[in-house]
Amino acid sequence: MSFPPSPRARSGPRRRSLLAAAPAALLVAGCSAGPGDSGAGGGSRPSAADRARARAARDSGELAARYDAVVAAHPKLAERLRPLRAEVVRHAEAFGGTADSSPSPSASASASASASGTPGSGKAGPSASPAAVPAKPKDALAELAAAEREIADRRVKALLDAPGELARLLASVAAAGAAHVYLLTEA
Amino acid sequence: MTVSEAREAKDRELRALQAALAAEHAAVYGYGVVGGRIGKDRRPEARTAYDAHRARRDALVRAVKDVGGEPVAAAAGYALPFQVPDAAAAVRLAAELEDRVAGVYGDLVRAGTGERRREAADAMREAAVRSVRWSSRSVAFPGLAERGGPASGSPAPTT
Repeated sequence: MSFPPSPRARSGPRRRSLLAAAPAALLVAGCSAGPGDSGAGGGSRPSAADRARARAARDSGELAARYDAVVAAHPKLAERLRPLRAEVVRHAEAFGGTADSSPSPSASASASASASGTPGSGKAGPSASPAAVPAKPKDALAELAAAEREIADRRVKALLDAPGELARLLASVAAAGAAHVYLLTEA
Repeated sequence: MTVSEAREAKDRELRALQAALAAEHAAVYGYGVVGGRIGKDRRPEARTAYDAHRARRDALVRAVKDVGGEPVAAAAGYALPFQVPDAAAAVRLAAELEDRVAGVYGDLVRAGTGERRREAADAMREAAVRSVRWSSRSVAFPGLAERGGPASGSPAPTT
């Protein structure tokens, strides 16, 4: 079948017709989350799904800990990393993990303390980092990005065998991870 | 899986494919608008995204045919979610288009299996990355409206 010519509105007059005349379709088609949802087909192997869920939660928890370690070593990155870490924690929770699954409460404590307190000295002392965090902020970000990427890839693999709704969640969280990689490296 | 269950699963997949195709039609259209308004500096980026959505659209047309469906056609026009008078609005529209596309691909991940599911997950990831490129803001759950991801607030159909 052939498509109508691609409607590429470049010129001014075109715009009016776009805004005024709004026939037919809606821009979105994402509302198919209707009745057949709860059944989430094919979930005949709950234990495998549970394992995938637990693994995903653990990955997110460990990732949050890495964020903590980087922030502890590089307080200046705290502001930039805070929203990303918060999302990672939400991911852990969505997979059934807990917010404080981070094994390094001391790291986050010292991180927040130094983030609010110390005048930035550029580099934190080596003693501040519980795990091995690269000395250069840029390298630390790159390492975080690599961890995000690795985990996102693992999620994409895991979703292939997961029941529908879990697969959708894994895909979304993997997508969020890819967006984090972008924010950690390019932005 | 019984025969009727299998048929049901296939129907679900076809519906999700069609919904994704419809969303890609809309995205292609929307990027036409974006391209007309976006600043010169970001025009190449818009062009790249436009091409990517066209490619996804074409792949979905093939996929719909593969499962025995008649691919939905593009509409003659689409209601924009807000006015797009300038470059800043064009950037917001681009981000919005990506968020919506991510939502339908999420549904396709749920409904699809095997290679088709993987493709949908890929498309979802690409949309999420483009969205964050445009908006510079990440969201926790791209495409999951029920978790406050940005696919929420779908506009009512305008007829």
